[in-house]
Amino acid sequence: MSRFFNSLRDGVGFDLVLVGAALLFLLALAGLPLLYNVLMSFQQVDMFTLGTLIRPWAGFTNYVDVVRQPEFWLVARNTLIFVFASMAGQFVIGFSLALFFAQKFPGAATIRGLFLVSWVMPGLVVGAIWSWILAGDFGVLNTILKSLGIIQETVFWKSDPNYSIWAVVIANIWLGTAFNMLLLAVGLAAIPRDLYEAAELDGANAFQRFWTITLPMMRSTIGAVLSLGLIGTLQQFDLFPAITEGGPANTSSVAGYWSWQMSFQLYDFAKGATISVMMFLLVLFASVIYVRSTRHEVRG
Amino acid sequence: MTRPYTPWLLLALALTLAALYLFPLYWMYVTSLKSASEIYFNPPTFWPLAPDTSIYPQVWFGRTMSTFLWNSVVIASGVTAITVILGTGCAYVLARYRSVWVDVGLFLILMLQVLPASVMITPLFVGFNQVGLLNYPRTAVVLAAAAKAMPFFVVLVRATFMSVPRELEEAALVDGNSRVGAFFSIVLPLARNGILVCAILTFMSAFGEFIYSKSIIQEKNLQPASVGLSGFLGPNSSDWNAIMAYSAIYVTPILAVFVLLQRRIVSGLTSGALK
Amino acid sequence: MSLSRLAFLATLALSSVSMFTLPAAAQVTVKMWSIDGDNGLYTKLAEDFNASQSEVVIESRLLAFDDLVNEALKAFATGQAPDIISLDNPDFALFSSRGAMLDITERVANSDVIDTSVYYEGPLASAMWDGKLYGLPKATNTIALFYNKDLFAKAGITEPPQTWDELLEDARKLNDPANNVYGITFSARAGEEGTFQFLPWVQMGGGSFKEVNTPGAVKALEIWKTLIDEKLASQDVLSQGQWDSTGTFNAGNAAMAISGPWELGRMAADAKFDWGVALLPTETEGGPRSSAMGDFNLGIFANSQHPDEAFKVIEYFASQSDRLFPEFSNIPPRSDVPLPATGDARTDAALKVFQEQLQYAQPRGPHPEWQKISKAIYDAFQAAMTGQMSAKDALDQAQATISGIVG
Repeated sequence: MSRFFNSLRDGVGFDLVLVGAALLFLLALAGLPLLYNVLMSFQQVDMFTLGTLIRPWAGFTNYVDVVRQPEFWLVARNTLIFVFASMAGQFVIGFSLALFFAQKFPGAATIRGLFLVSWVMPGLVVGAIWSWILAGDFGVLNTILKSLGIIQETVFWKSDPNYSIWAVVIANIWLGTAFNMLLLAVGLAAIPRDLYEAAELDGANAFQRFWTITLPMMRSTIGAVLSLGLIGTLQQFDLFPAITEGGPANTSSVAGYWSWQMSFQLYDFAKGATISVMMFLLVLFASVIYVRSTRHEVRG
Repeated sequence: MTRPYTPWLLLALALTLAALYLFPLYWMYVTSLKSASEIYFNPPTFWPLAPDTSIYPQVWFGRTMSTFLWNSVVIASGVTAITVILGTGCAYVLARYRSVWVDVGLFLILMLQVLPASVMITPLFVGFNQVGLLNYPRTAVVLAAAAKAMPFFVVLVRATFMSVPRELEEAALVDGNSRVGAFFSIVLPLARNGILVCAILTFMSAFGEFIYSKSIIQEKNLQPASVGLSGFLGPNSSDWNAIMAYSAIYVTPILAVFVLLQRRIVSGLTSGALK
Repeated sequence: MSLSRLAFLATLALSSVSMFTLPAAAQVTVKMWSIDGDNGLYTKLAEDFNASQSEVVIESRLLAFDDLVNEALKAFATGQAPDIISLDNPDFALFSSRGAMLDITERVANSDVIDTSVYYEGPLASAMWDGKLYGLPKATNTIALFYNKDLFAKAGITEPPQTWDELLEDARKLNDPANNVYGITFSARAGEEGTFQFLPWVQMGGGSFKEVNTPGAVKALEIWKTLIDEKLASQDVLSQGQWDSTGTFNAGNAAMAISGPWELGRMAADAKFDWGVALLPTETEGGPRSSAMGDFNLGIFANSQHPDEAFKVIEYFASQSDRLFPEFSNIPPRSDVPLPATGDARTDAALKVFQEQLQYAQPRGPHPEWQKISKAIYDAFQAAMTGQMSAKDALDQAQATISGIVG
């Protein structure tokens, strides 16, 4: 028995307690709800059985029904556009800003701090603001673009089926850039200066230095940023009801919003759960990428 | 790169970029000061015709915002406390070893975040009801939101621990410290800055927690500011300038704190702390 | 019969037992859920009710419009439902059709306060299911056509449009892109508001929510599409709600607007032009009229522990009908309450039109799966208006979905 307590204080037991506490907490508050959703996707659910676990079994009918919905492929396409365009935008802008603010100039740190404000803005508020900015007639984005001569005709960001998904992407890029910039700036700062000095002595130009030093050294950071970014993007919800409500004609609906709409607007809880389980596959993919990226970490 | 005016050019560019980026924030403040119909003007006005600041006291008192904001602080503090206590140890262990089990742990932590909060809320509501937690709604929200914040915190703080030289911990062990002793006296102090910064970031995102609160907290004087805001958005009326004024009051204090602290946040993360 | 159904009945039985065993003297708390907003109606009436007597206390919870139904579902499923709920009328059947609401037919018949014969038919029908009454309309509203008299005079039009074709013609004359003025604005949003606005046109075109692909309905949708295609209305009507659409009318950027009496207060204060209200134009001269019927019904949950006290609350709300308009700009759901003059001539004239329009207002449903029917309808007009399908094909597709639901 004393060996057990000893190990808690001074051995592997200590590690197990630390990890175990967090994992148990997560399993209870995230794992169980996840299982509940998986279970629900194989059942028939109505308002009387929402609070119980034993419900009529439905097999794969919910899955078949979801795929047969006329908007299924449209939503799938939108989800891919939303996820990849948002992540690419956030990452490229975030990385550029991180590189830019890594230069030495007066006020660099202070101004970089200002870019983090989107981190503290609640999604609900961001959605409301962007909904105004993106409005076709009285929206300020069109006014600015017109006065700069970039567009001639009014662009109905929220109501034109060709742009509606991009309206939400724009707002989401704005929202997520802070997160990307912050993490990437941290990664950049961790690269030893002398590597660059040595490369400069060897005559490597800025592009070569970026390609041969910065990128390889940032591998693990980039992995973390991308996988957390993917999860954050898939979880994005507040912007949709505020900006387009998934419209027009579902052209800006994505899996997360569709799932919510099924459950909480059409009260078809089983199909809502089914869509969420399908999203699971996407995140599975992200987690694999992240965990693989940690293989290349070097401990300092 | 050594010409004397380059830094000033960079500064000008930085300011331009910041102005572009902060424009939505400016728009929030300007819209809050416009009249109910001026916000629909086409083309829009960049500065209100007759700025009306009376909306601010009206929203503050009419919507009992002090209570809402206090609840937001309580909830965000609770989320931060739980996340830091549980997440720090977990991150430390996941940084200390290099094995398949670490991969499995990280994998689990990320996988458990697969579902958006809007989908998680139904099972959580049912579960909390079973164990009686719905009678302590703010506690219930804190627990649920901490689970959401955990992966982000663990991944970031793990990076912090990775940068603490392992030799220091080993030296402490050789000197006769126990694992617990070495953790608290050597490793934690070295990673302190990084943990603190991640805690602040967790606090700030928890300050906007919305989906769990709106379902779980039914009593108005326990609800956070995000739930108070959603009440404005009705089917036949949306008082937009009041919504913007409310949003402005909601985010301004935290923005102010953030701007004051940001130098320490950024430098805490970028120089030394994570390295 | 499933286990949970049994449990539900058991709760019901238990609650009726506890009714008799509870000490009569204790003050009873009645929980009431309603939407936030509505000019503070629920909060104020609840306070007044609490002050008026000492036996029953209303504990009021306000929810955002979008959350009301799904919070109620979650609460109901876990036995946490309130005693009273105020639901938007198309959502009411979701609960009443499945036995979640208390049948109040008898109570109302025996009530000294409530007389259903003075209530408008449409609102009352929305609270009925299978011939029984499960709730009472709190207020009612409908939509009609607002028009900017100054812009009409400028375009040389003397009368508001009477038919759909006239509406289209007038919109063409009024449209003035150089001055940022659209002919008309309305809401064709991907949500209940869009269905609320489109369904009256279907009904005027000889259809109903069960039959949306009549030739008249197809013509209506073609007119809506023409309004967008010829830029007679902003394309943003596809994403704007009624409040924002009418906001552009108030700002002088649209010459006509379709919306309801809830706009009157803001319009009287903000619009810097002369305006009037007309009945919705019909398909042909003298053709059948129709309009949407909005607003909320108060109902009691079947598993309420305090049905008697909850019914007292509903009686109290009904007894305050004469306050609805002067204090909260709500139109009473009954014909025996006169609307007092507001002192604003335009508003008073508008109210007369709205009261006439109310006679043609039809409830959406009632149907337990209304939300799915509604989605089929708004998906259809959005698909047609964005050019993804022809009006006919879109409505045919919606009809197929709806037929699958209504059987």
